[in-house]
Amino acid sequence: MGLLTILKKMKQKEREMRLLMLGLDNAGKTTILKKFNGEDVSTISPTLGFNIKTLDHRGFKLNIWDVGGQKSLRSYWRNYFESTDGLVWVVDSADRLRLEDCKQELSALLLEERLAGATLLVFANKQDLPGALSKEAIREALALDEIKSHHWCIIGCSAVTGENLLTGVDWLLDDIAARIFTSD
Amino acid sequence: MDVMADVSHENTLAADSGAARVQERMQKRNQARIESVERRREAKESQSVAEENYEFFSSTFNREREGIEELLSGCSGADRATAAQNLEEATVRTAQLQKFLSDSTLFLKQYDLRKAQAALQTLQTSLTETREEALPKKKFAFRARTKGADRACAPAADTPPPSAVSPAEPGSTQTDGASEQCGFSNLSEQLLIKTSEEVQKRDVLLTHLTNCKVRLFGSPSTLHLKHIQGCEILCGPVSSSVFVDRCTDSTLAVPCQQLRTHNTTDTRVYLHVTSRAIIEDCRGVSFAPFSWSYPTLEEDFAVSGLDQTRNNWSQVDDFNWLAAGTPSPNWTVIPEEERRTSWDP
Ligand SMILES: Nc1nc2c(ncn2[C@@H]2O[C@H](COP(=O)(O)OP(=O)(O)O)[C@@H](O)[C@H]2O)c(=O)[nH]1
Ligand SMILES: [Mg+2]
Repeated sequence: MGLLTILKKMKQKEREMRLLMLGLDNAGKTTILKKFNGEDVSTISPTLGFNIKTLDHRGFKLNIWDVGGQKSLRSYWRNYFESTDGLVWVVDSADRLRLEDCKQELSALLLEERLAGATLLVFANKQDLPGALSKEAIREALALDEIKSHHWCIIGCSAVTGENLLTGVDWLLDDIAARIFTSD
Repeated sequence: MDVMADVSHENTLAADSGAARVQERMQKRNQARIESVERRREAKESQSVAEENYEFFSSTFNREREGIEELLSGCSGADRATAAQNLEEATVRTAQLQKFLSDSTLFLKQYDLRKAQAALQTLQTSLTETREEALPKKKFAFRARTKGADRACAPAADTPPPSAVSPAEPGSTQTDGASEQCGFSNLSEQLLIKTSEEVQKRDVLLTHLTNCKVRLFGSPSTLHLKHIQGCEILCGPVSSSVFVDRCTDSTLAVPCQQLRTHNTTDTRVYLHVTSRAIIEDCRGVSFAPFSWSYPTLEEDFAVSGLDQTRNNWSQVDDFNWLAAGTPSPNWTVIPEEERRTSWDP
């Protein structure tokens, strides 16, 4: 029995999922996580290192890892790849100047072998800003349609209003659950 | 905007009650979460404070790391079943160690945190290497999964998630935002002013400005500065973050929730920040408390939602400075006698 089969069995028992939140710094990762968890979002500082939240949602135990996106921290991302079920890629939809950087980091990430089985949810965040690009524009800018290696979905949201956060997470859970808990 | 487009479907009634349901579910969930957060906090507080010191952390961390290393070295030459068992245990314990490190970030110094993260990274690498050696890949259940994914992999449009995220319907109010961009770019030697109505709740962008004076009266949602040289930029309260990149020989004054400064040199920042300021790849950045004022500043503070009594202007994290105890050489506090107290219009 391979290691991942063992892990899979363990997970089946606990209905546990491991989600990794990544994206450039300032995209809104920590704000999304805290808003989803019902916490105050007005006091969030730029992330030094990482945050972990464990929360129960729809009978699943979610382990969510939020890792700092600063340039000097990106080399640490690899630390967190192991047994990731879902990757949440957060984009600041109003930050046109860094879309190219955003695209390159995402495509590099998707080549990582240890993330090969993970479902990808792209949050086009900050939709409350008047200058935000639409989720279709983000989809094009990140060339999401070229992704053949992962299940993916893009959702426009706002961490500040909470709009669509639930929709995104629910899609992600459904996709992962269909893969992990029912097959075999 | 998508959020709008999503609910402006034909069936407004259904959409509305759907939204209300979601709201209600979210509120319930939030309530439950706040309670559990409080429970956890109480549990934590009752824990002995003695645990929260570096000695405890480092001895526990190192002991556990050695234990995992032992497990890994036990894989070489072992039979498949033993190796698999060791690897399984090592994986679980490495994840726990990561969690332990995360829980300790509150009291760890940046330097120690980095060191521990580096140690964990090394551990992860040897875990992966040992696994590749001891258990060749073809045995992985993972493979089968990936293959399944290849076939079923499809853009969002082919596997529609719940109705709320169906692709935007034609004719809906779709802006690509381009026309909505608020700010100034490619200008030099000018006085640039925006009024409260122009910037209120907007995302404002200033790029490629040289030797300009910029005055933003009002409360933007967010402010981005890029390629700024020799400018003096004064801005009203920004409700979320200010993002600065490649700014030199300039003076900024702004209240905000977060300040993120990158690749910036020889710049003075008169700051009101309610959470934290960070610098990365910067030098010669100096800070003082926000001191600009204009007639509607108080009202704009109210609009921004920023706490006027909470200013952490002098608590700056340098993402490039690892040493514990020694302050970063990349930023300083402006001595009181050198601070600007008056600003011309
Ligand atoms: N307007 C707006 N601001 C947001 C949104 N999400 C996050 N922010 C702000 O963006 C800044 C960066 O957020 P943070 O969560 O710290 O980003 P991270 O680096 O990805 O973790 C903060 O000032 C947030 O208040 C959003 O949906 N809308
Ligand atoms: Mg963060």
